[in-house]
Amino acid sequence: MSPELQQVGREEFVLNMGPHHPATHGVLRFVLHTDGEIMRRAVPEVGYLHRGLEKLAEAHTYAAYVPFTDRINYLESMFCNQVWSMAVERLLGLQVPRRAEYLRVIACELNRIANHCIALGSIAMDVGAYTPFVYLLREREAINDLLEALCGNRLTYHYVRIGGVAHDVDEGWQGKVRAYLDHLEPILDELHSLVGGNEILVRRLGGVAVICASDAVGWGLVGPNLRASGVDWDLRRDRPYSVYPELSFEVPVGRGEQGQVGDCYDRWTVRVAEMRQSVRLLRQALERLPAGDILAKVPRSIKPPAGEVYQPVEGARGELGLYLVSDGSPKPSRAKWRSSSFAALSIVEHLSRGLMIADLVALIASLDPIAPEVDR
Amino acid sequence: MGALASYLRAIGRTVLSVGDGLAVTFSYLLRAPVTLQYPDRMRVPVIELLPERSRGMLEVDLDLCTGCAACDRACPIDCIALEVVKHAERGRLIQRFDIDLGKCMFCGLCTEACPTGAIRHSHEFEGGTGDVRALVVPFVDAPRQPAKAKQEPPPAPKPLGSILRARMPGPWDRPRPPARPEGGEHAG
Ligand code: SF4
Ligand code: SF4
Repeated sequence: MSPELQQVGREEFVLNMGPHHPATHGVLRFVLHTDGEIMRRAVPEVGYLHRGLEKLAEAHTYAAYVPFTDRINYLESMFCNQVWSMAVERLLGLQVPRRAEYLRVIACELNRIANHCIALGSIAMDVGAYTPFVYLLREREAINDLLEALCGNRLTYHYVRIGGVAHDVDEGWQGKVRAYLDHLEPILDELHSLVGGNEILVRRLGGVAVICASDAVGWGLVGPNLRASGVDWDLRRDRPYSVYPELSFEVPVGRGEQGQVGDCYDRWTVRVAEMRQSVRLLRQALERLPAGDILAKVPRSIKPPAGEVYQPVEGARGELGLYLVSDGSPKPSRAKWRSSSFAALSIVEHLSRGLMIADLVALIASLDPIAPEVDR
Repeated sequence: MGALASYLRAIGRTVLSVGDGLAVTFSYLLRAPVTLQYPDRMRVPVIELLPERSRGMLEVDLDLCTGCAACDRACPIDCIALEVVKHAERGRLIQRFDIDLGKCMFCGLCTEACPTGAIRHSHEFEGGTGDVRALVVPFVDAPRQPAKAKQEPPPAPKPLGSILRARMPGPWDRPRPPARPEGGEHAG
């Protein structure tokens, strides 16, 4: 072989995936260094959706920033609302009425199911099955209808407020949620026949892009991605907040049913199992919903005393944290969001060594990152 | 031999599980469809299907507005342009009340702040327009006196959306696309 040809053999091919690519879930870009179909590394490039939401917090009052939190992650707005409200409540030392706490749990768990519908649908779609995505969107539409009736909007809820929630529910709405839950459980079984147990999906996900427990912890993965690697950690149970200690639920972890613990298929099964647990939580919360106020007595102008808090909650993608600093003025002095998608993306480069390009798509989909949440 | 057997078993599993999936898919031939053919084949307009709390485009009933500017102060992104001037003879006058619906994020903070319920969310959402300036909706034509805080008798509420429809050209004013021949229509 001539020296030039040997040189060619050692060069790597640089391929751009994104920023507009159907498999990158929003405006995300990956720079792939490949050797044929095998990747040497895939480097995520983020920042295309940066809207300066942290800086914006410094320009708005505490109450006026709540609708902005809706935009941090359009698939789990309820959790973003909740984190912000809980952080401010802690700064203020405010006690939230119990009815409001239960309504928060109901709204958040519905949001979690809706989020997982999209997550599972896009995993299936990215490995080549389009139909389940449409079926799952249909389920999510039903939740959107429920949440629209509850808070007035389908995605940007602006429902959880500082000190409680914005609107109360009536018996009719609760009945609709119960009817929906009865409808959803058989659908989850149907999802397994439709795609979850499908040999093609199993082969595309099983044993692919395995994240071992120490890697998962080391790279700061949270939520379903962490639990799929066999780490039994859920803030709702291990750092209890709201009324979760009063409700019983299990924390599903990955068991390596179709390959190894921490593979893409585990990230699929953990999410399906979490949807079942959310259904369980919702039933209990609807059952026990106490009477009472939905909003605590909140001062007209919110001026928390100077101080700082870090408030995490278990969002649909795992720990969603907010570090909030108050200087005693009506506007926050600093807000820092800790988002799960950003952590999920940071492990991609490490895992992509030696992966096939097609498996990278499965890996990204199974990590379920959301571009606006990465960049904020 | 072992490799061949497991290969064949995998093919068997594939055929069976694809059959499982297709059984679900075909079962949908027997279920009622859930899709609606928006916008031209709706039996009931979407707007009538929306829940009561639905936060659509804003409108202002100036027969109720006192010009207190609470909505203006509450809005996080300044999409309300409200000007109240002092006139030598006529006292306070609302000179301008524009809402930039292109900027609005439909959060509802302004409607919650309004003491009289003058500013409210209609259920209108079909505001698509070819010109972004058309989304700035003026609600005041000529300077007018603000309403009194307590009115006797209180004016009857106007139908939701009627003020906005009168002020803003929208799809409601455009000719409907010609109806397609009937047949093959699903639920909705
Ligand atoms: S809905 Fe929100 S963004 Fe729109 S005008 Fe009212 S306060 Fe401003
Ligand atoms: S719409 Fe309501 S809040 Fe705004 S100026 Fe008029 S009365 Fe005041």
